[in-house]
Amino acid sequence: MKPEGITYLTDVTLLTCIVAAGRADVVIRAAQGMGAPGAIVYHAQGLGPRERLGLLSIAIEAEKEVVSILVAADYQDAVLETIYRAAELDVPGAGMIYAIPVEKVATYIPRDIMEKGQAS
Amino acid sequence: MTDSVRYADYLRVIGAGRREVPMRELVSAPVRGADGRWTAAALPAAKLHGDEIAAVLKPYINVRLMEQIRAVVPLALYLALFQIIILRQLVEESLIVAGGLFAVIVGLMLFMEGLKLGLMPFGEIIGSNLPRKSSLPVVLLVTLLLGIGVTFAEPAIGALRAAGQNVSAERAPYLWAILNQWTRELVLVVGASVGLAAVTGTLRFLYGWSLKPLIYFSLVPVLLLTVYFSSDPELAKVIGLAWDAGAVTTGPVTVPLVLALGIGIAAAAGKGGSGLSGFGIVTLASLFPVIGVMLLALYVSAASSPAEIVAAAQAAAGAGQAEGAWFTVSPGLEIVSGVRAIVPLVIFLLLVLKLLLRQSLPRRAEIMLGIALTVVGMCVFNLGLTYGLSKLGGSAGSLIPSAFMQIPGADNSPLYLYQVGLVLALAFAWLLGYGATVAEPALNALGVTAETLTNGFIRKRSLIRAVSIGVASGIAVGVAKLVFDLPLVWLVVPPYLLAALLTVVSTEEFVNVAWDSAGVTTGPITVPLVLAMGLGLGNATQAVEGFGILCMASVGPIISVMLLGQWARIQLRMQEKAAVEEPVNHLLETGAPG
Repeated sequence: MKPEGITYLTDVTLLTCIVAAGRADVVIRAAQGMGAPGAIVYHAQGLGPRERLGLLSIAIEAEKEVVSILVAADYQDAVLETIYRAAELDVPGAGMIYAIPVEKVATYIPRDIMEKGQAS
Repeated sequence: MTDSVRYADYLRVIGAGRREVPMRELVSAPVRGADGRWTAAALPAAKLHGDEIAAVLKPYINVRLMEQIRAVVPLALYLALFQIIILRQLVEESLIVAGGLFAVIVGLMLFMEGLKLGLMPFGEIIGSNLPRKSSLPVVLLVTLLLGIGVTFAEPAIGALRAAGQNVSAERAPYLWAILNQWTRELVLVVGASVGLAAVTGTLRFLYGWSLKPLIYFSLVPVLLLTVYFSSDPELAKVIGLAWDAGAVTTGPVTVPLVLALGIGIAAAAGKGGSGLSGFGIVTLASLFPVIGVMLLALYVSAASSPAEIVAAAQAAAGAGQAEGAWFTVSPGLEIVSGVRAIVPLVIFLLLVLKLLLRQSLPRRAEIMLGIALTVVGMCVFNLGLTYGLSKLGGSAGSLIPSAFMQIPGADNSPLYLYQVGLVLALAFAWLLGYGATVAEPALNALGVTAETLTNGFIRKRSLIRAVSIGVASGIAVGVAKLVFDLPLVWLVVPPYLLAALLTVVSTEEFVNVAWDSAGVTTGPITVPLVLAMGLGLGNATQAVEGFGILCMASVGPIISVMLLGQWARIQLRMQEKAAVEEPVNHLLETGAPG
């Protein structure tokens, strides 16, 4: 017997982090260490700033990995900062991270986690 | 009274069951430490309730179960219906047979999944790392040993061993001796042959040899030995077994594992690339065992005379009445042989990994689960083989002749006129082969390869059809061999000579696909079913031995696929010619090119 209805998660933020190919692992590990439930990696190609560097562009990988992570909006800064530090995004050419508010999310929420959320 | 209700609250109430939870309530809150860095507890491993686990597993199992059901059920239904409608006989002990078939389905499902989770990653790790860390001779030695190991693990090999119990020692002493007294040596010889084939195939990978000369070189001794054997009336009875052994080896364990290793080695040597180079090992692995088994038969014939074997068989029959230990009787036997098939292979792979590569297993828990699944699946499959497939195939095989001749067990046989019954029996065999092959999943992959090879000129469907027709015709010829008791040498040598001839004129790529299609078609369901049917048929028609159907089923597709390739080439050339000769304006007039 399945209970009718749907549970929306609100106050969610989508963090998107773009790094050089092969560095998605660092980002994901940092995010998971901060309690992020999961992540999705896309393989992508970056254009723009790299081309404007002239010959220096050889030092920067055009192949990128884009990591998407959903986090609680209240804690987005904490996760974002942690990723920023872990992936060393303060170095030129290392990549970027941005946050987008998400209106709602619906998925299967394990009952265990749901109950814990209600209790606290 | 001016009571107000927020619209959102109202919506929440009427939209029952629709609710919102802020995500922060479900995750732990980060805390800022003294150094200004954020820390938070990571999400713990998921704790699921029983029904949630069931919901996760259901689609996973459904897909895999359906795969096996699609392969087994139509064949079993066809066999049973044929028996009931045409032969007017009920399937004996139908409940046990049904249970056995179910066990086959479940066992195969577990086995294949275990293979994917457990053994395949092993093969890939070793294949990609071994060549970098060890010298070529060591790599080749490991390949050889692996070839022997996978042969022991091959589920279809068990069917061959089980077949030995039905052979009469008086009428075919050497065959009986090999299948009963020398079983361990038999499997070892077959395994060593597969290992050698794997080594040759790996060398072929590395040095980019053409497959054609390899085929010629292995065909010559095979055919010479066959001709020599046929000249000796006692040895002639082993030919069928030898050729069938070749078809049996190229099953669902050997092919992927040996291929994984070979491809890994080739990739490490920088010779990867061509997707085709993976082919060829399968071909050699189905030719070499023929030589191996024949040599073993020669040795057996030199070591003991037919009279001695008959005496030994009679002694064994007398002693066999005593109650055996628990592991020599069913179902203990099946379980022990299942464990014995997998565990040595796993230990060997582990030793290679630890001693040669000094590496630990990645995802250890998953691989261990996979290996456990493989063992359990193998045991269940073996049980199902004994009680389901072999029984069904055997009973169908022994009853088919009742369509056209007097059979003691069947009522009012012959059921039909001799000619009508014979045609019915052959048509039955043909359709069985066709149905069993069309459903074979490995064939699909081969079809895709052929399509890309010929730039889509040969469709996947036409290749599958060609292979199926080849297998079906082969099985029908094999059944005819049993019914008329034809000498196998006349059925084996000419087709293989024809195949060799076609090999000369075919392109390299097509030679690869054609020769491999033979190995691909003999899967874990077809082999026991056809073997059991052949043996039952052989018993009923008083033939000496029921082997030979499988090898006919593997030469059939070789010829049919190469004929398809030739036909495609001729068509292509004619089209080109037409395109050159035909003036362009003529094309414009008709408006329809090609």
